[in-house]
Amino acid sequence: MTARDTILGRVRQGVGKDDFAQRKAAAQGLLAARSRGPQPVLSGGLVDRFRVKAESLSSTVEAVPDLRAAPAAVARYVAAQHLPPEIVMTPDVASLEWAASGVRGVARAAHDVDRVGVTACFCAVAETGTLMLLSGPDSPATVSLLPETHIALVDTACIVATMEDAFALLRAERGEIPRAINFISGPSRTGDIEQTIVLGAHGPCRVHLILIGAPS
Amino acid sequence: MTAAAKHSQAMHFQARAGEKVRNPVLQRALQKAKPLFVGKRAKGMAALADDALDFETLRTACEAIRNRTLADLDVWLDIFEERAKATGAEVLWARDGEEVGRLVVEIARRHGVTKATKSKSMLSEEAHLNEALAEAGIRPVETDLGEYIVQLAGEAPSHIIAPAVHKTIEEVEALFAREHGRPIETRTSADIPDMTREAREVLRQHFLTAEMGISGANFLIAETGTAALVTNEGNGRMVTTLPKVHVVVTGIEKIVPTFEDFATLMRMLPRSATGQSISNYVSLLTGTKREGDHDGPEKTVFILVDNGRAGLLGSPYQDMLRCIRCGACMNHCPVYFSLGGHAYGWVYPGPMGSVLTPLYTGIENALDLPHASTGCNQCGSVCPVRIPLPRLMHRLREEQVERGLRPWSERLALKAWAWLAGRPALYRWMTRRAVRYLNWLADDDGRIRILGMAPGWTAGRDLPVASGRTFNELYKARKRA
Ligand code: SF4
Repeated sequence: MTARDTILGRVRQGVGKDDFAQRKAAAQGLLAARSRGPQPVLSGGLVDRFRVKAESLSSTVEAVPDLRAAPAAVARYVAAQHLPPEIVMTPDVASLEWAASGVRGVARAAHDVDRVGVTACFCAVAETGTLMLLSGPDSPATVSLLPETHIALVDTACIVATMEDAFALLRAERGEIPRAINFISGPSRTGDIEQTIVLGAHGPCRVHLILIGAPS
Repeated sequence: MTAAAKHSQAMHFQARAGEKVRNPVLQRALQKAKPLFVGKRAKGMAALADDALDFETLRTACEAIRNRTLADLDVWLDIFEERAKATGAEVLWARDGEEVGRLVVEIARRHGVTKATKSKSMLSEEAHLNEALAEAGIRPVETDLGEYIVQLAGEAPSHIIAPAVHKTIEEVEALFAREHGRPIETRTSADIPDMTREAREVLRQHFLTAEMGISGANFLIAETGTAALVTNEGNGRMVTTLPKVHVVVTGIEKIVPTFEDFATLMRMLPRSATGQSISNYVSLLTGTKREGDHDGPEKTVFILVDNGRAGLLGSPYQDMLRCIRCGACMNHCPVYFSLGGHAYGWVYPGPMGSVLTPLYTGIENALDLPHASTGCNQCGSVCPVRIPLPRLMHRLREEQVERGLRPWSERLALKAWAWLAGRPALYRWMTRRAVRYLNWLADDDGRIRILGMAPGWTAGRDLPVASGRTFNELYKARKRA
């Protein structure tokens, strides 16, 4: 008997029911229903909530009026952090006017030597101050992972209340889910040496958010 | 003897416990950690009120999700397998730890793997996967900082979410100096960022060069055949993004039906573990690298492991399968914080380990663990999926008695007591004598410093003396009044 058959046999015995086909149909019904658990009630506006939470997770935030202002904001941040004005970016933000901002950008997957990675995000979750990034040809996952500094452009129109809302948006806008959905909440951290929290364990040690379309 | 039992040291619990209590370095590390764990969780749970949520409501929902899955686990496994395969992933099954090792080595050989980076997986500890890989000439590199530290020390993790909680900064420094080929320096907590940086740089090179990434899964989502991975360090993302092969090793009980169910559980898992409202990285991984993708594995394999889990279904211990491995039970356990995790002798420490170790390695191979409890139910009251841990430990003790596994002295004592309890007059007379005797042993402060017939019991503590009269005497006096 294969391992599969042995294990599933044991599981079926433990479950103690037969009517497999009927139960499978019921399970599929449950999947289709997508019912939600207890939902949080967020007080105040989504943008404010997102911002407060993101900052509490050690991200920094700058608000700009529109997308055209983003490259200059990136340039300002990079200069303020004394980082080289060279960025790797996801192709989905490559069409912005980078040349005039003074940063030199290249759109591709990130390499180990890249110091600054700039990405967009599919949406953001206000409840926890979290970014939702989808992997894809226009948004390689490495750009938000390998460089020490991750700058994300967050359109305020794409801020939803909860993770459940983010999933609903994903289903509505994309037919198929991507290989990787990455929820990012601030810089990478560890507390494994004497429970002392250190930022920048394996991923970025700085996460800077440029909020687009918010009053600053 | 099961494969798991071979590696278990749980039978030596008492001896190991004694050692641990007398180890000042360990005690220092533990005393430092406990208030942090407890305080952070309490704060995280309290903050739920800001969003009109609360712990009890959420844990009822989490308990229901886990129960619903377990009640039809055969169906959910079938759906998961079907949908994971449809995304291009391979789904394999392993009856026990040895089979996990065989399968992973086989996959590694097929893809010419010489090095595998690993994100924390307790199941890989159950399976002794690192040993199996090393024997096959494949280098396993643990990449969670805590796991990296215990791997350098040649030890096992002592906590399921903070594997190196038992290590002091001096011990970590000595390990890093040795592994990274530099002299030992004097370190204070101000140096922890530098030490973390040093490990980051070493491990980054491993991430970039390993051909295989091995991870666990915090959950498997049936709806889409997806693995959910929750980490703070980002190592989970590294091992599932950079290598060309990704192997997910996880237990068959880890399934949840939908993304919505996952979202509900995520309100509880990080809060219960570290008090965080969310972990830094939550990755939902489905299938392999798609057309046009720049990164991601070309090959994704799920290994769904039984190793004793199926046997718990339909048993008095089924509730234990709800466990989401948050660590809250050990973080609130007075026994755990007196001994640390290694005393428990197998993969899982603390209250959940005291239940799982006997169940997965054989009740007869871990006789002390279900007794390693004060019965305070702190664990049960913080468990985010409402597992009645003390009741399960109690049930295991009953089973030890039913199967005649208790020592002869205890069995004899219980028989004697039963005989006595069946003779009320004699019982009253005896207990009266016993209470007077205890009173006579006590000093002026009402404390017994050396218990006559069981001096070991008072070796490290005093026994407060009883009132001087038996319950029967008090009851009678009260009825008269
Ligand atoms: S038994 Fe409960 S508290 Fe303990 S690790 Fe499992 S889920 Fe967490």
